[in-house]
This record gives sequence, C-alpha cells and structure tokens, in this order.
Amino acid sequence: MEYLVVLLLFVVFVQTRVMELRRSVAALMAQSVIVACACLLAGLNHGLMHALIPFALTLGVKVIFIPTAMLKLIKRITDEREIFSDINVNYSTMAAAAFLVFGYVLGNRFMLDPMQQDIFAATIMMIMTGLALMVMRKRAILQICGLITLENGIYLLGLIITEGLPLVVELGVFLDVLIAVVVLVILTNRMSLSFMTTDTTVMRKLKG
Amino acid sequence: MESFMGALGLYGLGTLALVWPKRLELAAHYVSMGLAVIASLMVLSLSLLEIMGLGTGGMLQLGRYSLVVDGWAAAFLLIIGLSGTAVSIYGLGYGRGYLGARIRQLAGLWNLFLGSMVLVVLAGDAFTFILAWEVMALVSFLLVNHESEKKQVVGAAYQYMVMTHLGTAAILIAFYILGSGAESFAFVDLAHSELTPVMKHIAFGCAFAGFALKSGLMPLHVWLPNAHPAAPSHVSALMSGVMLKVAVYGFGRFVFEFIGADVFAYGLIVMVVGLVSAFLGVLYASMEKDMKRILAYSSVENMGIIFAAFGCGMLLVAMDKSYLSVVAFTAVLVHSVAHSLMKCLLFMSAGAVMHATGTRNVELLGGLLKKMPWTAAFTLIGSMSLASLPFTAGLVGEWLTLQGMMSLAFEAGRPELRLLVIFAFILLGLTGALALGCFVRLYGVAFLGRRRSNLVLKAHEMPFTMLCGMGLEAVAIIAMGIMPAPLVNAMRQILVDSPLAIPAGDFIGLWWNGGQSEAVFNPWLIMIAGLLLFALLALTLGSHKVIVHQDVTWNCGTEPTRRQQYTATGFSKPLRRAFDFILKPRRERVFLQRDHAYFGRKLHYNLMIPDQFTDRLYRPVEHIMVRLADTLRIVQQGSVRLYIGYTMIAMVIVLIWGGM
Repeated sequence: MEYLVVLLLFVVFVQTRVMELRRSVAALMAQSVIVACACLLAGLNHGLMHALIPFALTLGVKVIFIPTAMLKLIKRITDEREIFSDINVNYSTMAAAAFLVFGYVLGNRFMLDPMQQDIFAATIMMIMTGLALMVMRKRAILQICGLITLENGIYLLGLIITEGLPLVVELGVFLDVLIAVVVLVILTNRMSLSFMTTDTTVMRKLKG
Repeated sequence: MESFMGALGLYGLGTLALVWPKRLELAAHYVSMGLAVIASLMVLSLSLLEIMGLGTGGMLQLGRYSLVVDGWAAAFLLIIGLSGTAVSIYGLGYGRGYLGARIRQLAGLWNLFLGSMVLVVLAGDAFTFILAWEVMALVSFLLVNHESEKKQVVGAAYQYMVMTHLGTAAILIAFYILGSGAESFAFVDLAHSELTPVMKHIAFGCAFAGFALKSGLMPLHVWLPNAHPAAPSHVSALMSGVMLKVAVYGFGRFVFEFIGADVFAYGLIVMVVGLVSAFLGVLYASMEKDMKRILAYSSVENMGIIFAAFGCGMLLVAMDKSYLSVVAFTAVLVHSVAHSLMKCLLFMSAGAVMHATGTRNVELLGGLLKKMPWTAAFTLIGSMSLASLPFTAGLVGEWLTLQGMMSLAFEAGRPELRLLVIFAFILLGLTGALALGCFVRLYGVAFLGRRRSNLVLKAHEMPFTMLCGMGLEAVAIIAMGIMPAPLVNAMRQILVDSPLAIPAGDFIGLWWNGGQSEAVFNPWLIMIAGLLLFALLALTLGSHKVIVHQDVTWNCGTEPTRRQQYTATGFSKPLRRAFDFILKPRRERVFLQRDHAYFGRKLHYNLMIPDQFTDRLYRPVEHIMVRLADTLRIVQQGSVRLYIGYTMIAMVIVLIWGGM
C-alpha cells in the first residue's frame, strides 16, 4: 500500500508537468491503474467479492473507456501541436507540493493513524491538484484530466475513510463520472469544430 | 355561500371562451360577456341580501382552505357586482371593436378577472387570498397587455407587472409574519396572532406598502397612469373602479382583524399618505391631456381620500373614540362604492369617445355634445360626481370624510393633532376645488365648444349596450346622490356588526340632522331649494319675450376661429404657475420662422410635466441597482477556470475550517 501511495504521488507530480495531450492522458491512465490497485488492496480486507467489483469497474471505466475516448478525441483535434500555459508549469508542481503538506497538516489534525494519514494526504493532494489543473490549464482535454484526477481523489478518500462504500454508491459514482466524461468529450469536440481550438479562454466570447 | 360558488362557476364557464374555436369568436364573446353579466348580477343580488342580513352567510371549508363571507366582504362584493354588471354590459358592445384581435382572449380573461376579484374578497385564509390575488394581478397584466402590438402598451404592462409583484411580495411578508405568529394561515387564527411590537410594525408596514401599491397611493402610483391608458377601456374601468377597491378590502382586513389600529402612528401614516396622494393626484390630473391619464390620476386622488378617511378612523380608534370612528370608516365604504360607480362610468365614456374619434387627446376633441348627446349626458353626471357636486354619489363619500375629520378635530387633545387636522382640511379643500377645475376642464374641452380637429367629424353615438352600461352607472350615481341614507345606513350597520364591533352611538344624529357641532347635509332640502330658485328664475325671466339674435362673437373686429378657444393646456396654465414649485414643468420653444418681432412667426412649443416621483425616487433607485449589479459582475467574468478557482478556494477554506 505504501508503495502505491508513493507511486500515486509520483504520477500526480508528473501530471502537473506534462503539457502534451497524449502523454497527459497516459499519465491519467497510469494514475487510474494505481487507484484500481489501491481499491483492490483496500477491498481484500472485506472479502474477495467486495474487492473485485470496484476494481473491475475502475479498470473498465477509468483505465479503458475514458482514456480511449479521450485519445480518440485528441486524434480529431487539429491544433494539438503546442500548448503554453500562461501560468508557469513550475507553479502547478509547487502548488501540488504545497497541497501535499496541507494534506499532512489536515491529517494530523484529524488524528488518523499513520497509515491512513499517508493515504489521506495523498487524496487531499489529488483533489486539490485536480482543481488546480482545471484552473491553470487552458486546454479542455487537460481540464478533463484534472477533473478525473479530482474524481479519483474523492473516490479514494471515500474508500479509505469509510473502509469500502456500499456497492450502489460506487455504481452511482462511476455512472456520474462516465456521463460527465461523455458530455465533456462531446462538448470539447463541438468546441473544436466551432472555434477551431480547445482553448477554453475563447469561451469568454459567449459572455453576454 | 353556495350561491356565491354558483356565480364563481358562471365566471369559470365564461373563461372557457379562451378555448372556443376561432370561427365562433364573436359568439364566444357574446356568450362569455353575457355570462359575466349574469354572474355579476348574481354577486350583486347576493351581496345585497348579505348586507340586508337576509343572506345565508357562512363559510365553505375545504381542508385547510376556506371561503368566508361577512359584512366587510359583502360591501366589496357589492362594488364588484354593481360595477361588474354595468361594465360587462358595456363590454358586450365595446369588445366588438376587438373582433379579429384576440377577442376570445379578451372575453375569457375578463371573466377570470372578475372571478378572481370575487375570490379575493371571499378568501378565508391567507393561501386562498394570495392565490386569488396573484391570479388577479396576472390576469390584469394580460388584459393591460392586450394590444401588445404597441410598444408603449408593452412597456406599461411590464411596469405594472413588476410593481404589482413588489406589492404581492410585501403582502406575502406580512402574511408570513402574522402566520408564523399564529401558527396557522386561516383568517380566524391570524386574528389572534401573538407578535412582538417590532414584528407588528414590520407586518403593518409591509401590508400597507403592498395594498397602497395596488391602490395607487403616492409614491407607489407610477404604474397607474401608464397602465390605465394602455388597457382596453372597459378593462381600465374595471381596474380603476373595482381592483383598487379590492386593495382597500385587503387593507381593511389587516387593520380590523389582524393587526389592529391601536398604534397611533399607523393611523397617522395612512392619513398623511392618503392626503398627499389626494392632493398631488388631482394636481397631476389637471395637467394631463390624455383623457385616460386624467382619469387615472383622479383615481389616485380618490384612493387618497379613501385612505385619508381610513387613517382618520384609525386615529380615532387609537384614541379610544371608536364610536366616532364609525363615521370615518363609513366614509371609506361609501366613497369606495361612489368612486367605483363614477370612475367606471367615466372610463366607459372615455372608451366611447375613443371608439368614436380614435383619440384620447382632449386637445383634439371638442363639440362632442352634439354628436354624442347620451354619452355627453352620462359623462356630465360622472364628472359632476367626481367633482363632488350635490345630487351625485361623489359628494356623499367626501361629506362623510370631512365629517370624520371634523370629529377628529373635536377630539384632538393635542396641538400637533389639531395642526394635522387643519392641514388635512386645507389639503382636502384644495383637492375638492382642483377636482372641480379638473373635470370642468375635461368635460368642457372634450364635449363643449367647437371641434379642435377633424377627428370629431366622424364621431357618432354609441350602440345600445354601451349606452346601457353607462346609463346604469349614471342612474346609480344620481340615486345614491339623492337618497344616500339607505346605503350609508347599510354600510354603517356592516361596520357596527362585523369587524370593529363599534358601539353604534347616535350616528344618524351626527351625520344626518347635525348634532350640536356637525353640519347638515340633506339632498332633498338642497334639491327643493334649488328647484324653487329655478322656478323663480324661470318665472321671472321666462315671462319676458326674449329676442334671439344670432351672430358671431365679438372678437375685436376679427372673425373668431376654432383655434382661439381655450385649450386644455391653456385652461390649466394658472394652476401650473401657482404650483410650479411642485410640478416643475419643462417648456421648450423652438422658432421655426421669425421674420418680425410681432407677426409672421411660427413656433413649436413643447410642454412636459415630468412625474417628480419617477425623476426623484425611481430613477436614482434604478441607477443604484444597475450600479450594484455592475459591481457584482466583477465576480462573474465568464471564465470557467475562474469559477473552478472559486470552488477551489471555497474548498480550501472549508477544509481549514474543519481542521480547526
């Protein structure tokens, strides 16, 4: 479990530095694989069946379906050559580090046991970094990556804190993510058709 | 009570005109308006029975909702029934002008409007009241908006809708405060609402603001002079004549049953607002050129008088002189009935004039007396009544109002209150005088003299139904003016019986024969004196052989032309000069041609009387609101990322707060 947390932290840090669309989707995929494994490990304490179903769902939805859909989308988008974030990449990495510290401080406050504290800090960091990615990146695809990171963070947090959610809740969460991503992918596609770019700052034109 | 349900059912049937097929639209109009006439007649007769104490009364309970009829309600049902009948008969003819212009909608909504007003008055709990009130507001909005092809109609209708919803919001707050005090929304329970003084003040303030807005008291009147000209004439008649009274009904319920009038300041506020509205209303009415705007401002004036009387009664109750307050409250009811009659009549005649000539601008009329003698006669009766001349209904209400003020003056122990009463007498006196001038001007310019434009040439007398509607109101006005006693007594009995439970006292002595200190008004006496005088004059003058020699008027050697007559604007010039510190008229003179200092000049003259309340109160408020909204837009930049950033900040704050 500890190794998984370290890996997870590493992947999230990588995510803050990746600016190319395909690579960021690959990083997201790796992150989802780790979350799936963590899910399996956490579930094993409560019986095999309870571990396998969330694992399979995570694998199916977050590792296979969503990245595939996003990769397909990337193929259609024309202007994927060069991406500049107007806020320096380093800032997002530093922000992620700050969030990690913040997570540990919070975990300390809530007086969790050390093992849980690590995972708690990691999930807080994922949630906040996901939000930060959405705020700092302009490209719609990268913003979707941020959203999935945030989602993974929340999911993992729920898993750790409650020691296994009821199956119905898990199914609901997955359905939510699925629908959100489908809508986002369609919207991004339309956006690139209408504006010839997936830069969300052009959406400002729509303001009345 | 069940029979009232029958009337409501008939209104409901009439509303079905909305869904009649298009090719039967004229039939739909006749059937629907006919149903409105029958239903209004039913309401009229049932409320008369109720007032005379022969009615079944009672209440109808449906779960937590109820309909109740009591004396106070019956008085206002009488107004709805009386004016509803006359105006619906008029509407039979007048509505035909809208053939092909959504006539089914007009007729159907007309029924719904009448029905909703009956329901407001019958409501026995706050929910039913607000529901019916809101239906009334929305339907009247749709009716005002009927000629929605015209831009200014749409503007006026939306202004009305915004204002009326502000009023409804205020009334809702009042009901909410009372209801949370009583833990129920039935009117019976609201009466026993336990409130702290502060909450009571807020509830009273909200209720007064809401009902004052609906009855067009200043400074909440701005919708009224715009909405009434925009609506079809019979709709403006009903709105002005009846809907404004429904607001008086609601205010009465609040004061008599829920809040009470025992706080001195309440009565003071109501009275001062009423007096100011009365005076300013008639002043603005004298300045207008649009017939319906004149009438609309005159409605502001009369509602002002009604509320001044109401405030006077409240003051007397607060001073523990409730046996005297009955005069003032009777004045409220009597003047409500009278104003409803005369305002409906005059709006109908304004509609007739519009129908005949196609204009509402009095400067383009003149000499209509010969073209439309019946309409002219009815308008004369209505104008006399609004100017509160003897033998008309208008005088009775104002007389009682003044009597109420007089009783207040005698009971006023404190010098401040005496000053207030003196102020009230001055304002009411000015109001009366200005109203006389205003209606002499209206009638004189529109119906007398010679024509001021060619529009008058095509004028013609109205069809029978329209004359019938106007005639009914005119007959009622004269009847009430000559024999006011039955109505006044009935109204007094209502007040003594139901909401106030005032000790009866020697009311008739006060009002009718004159006590030690009150003046006497006996229409028969004046009439006999007047007839004697007339007979004397006729005998002395009629015995001579009168030589009639017709010639043009002497005009310093020049031929008088039509353009040399008094114009409406010219007629009110002295008033404009005298009150220009209130009215602040804006004049604009542009010389089109000026060859010589004295002749050969052509000029364009433009006179505007801006509504001071709009300029001084509403515009600044509007500016502040817009500026505030602009400030808020800094937060809303239209960038999705910024919004996510807000979420993020909120989350960090929540986490830190949770961690502390």
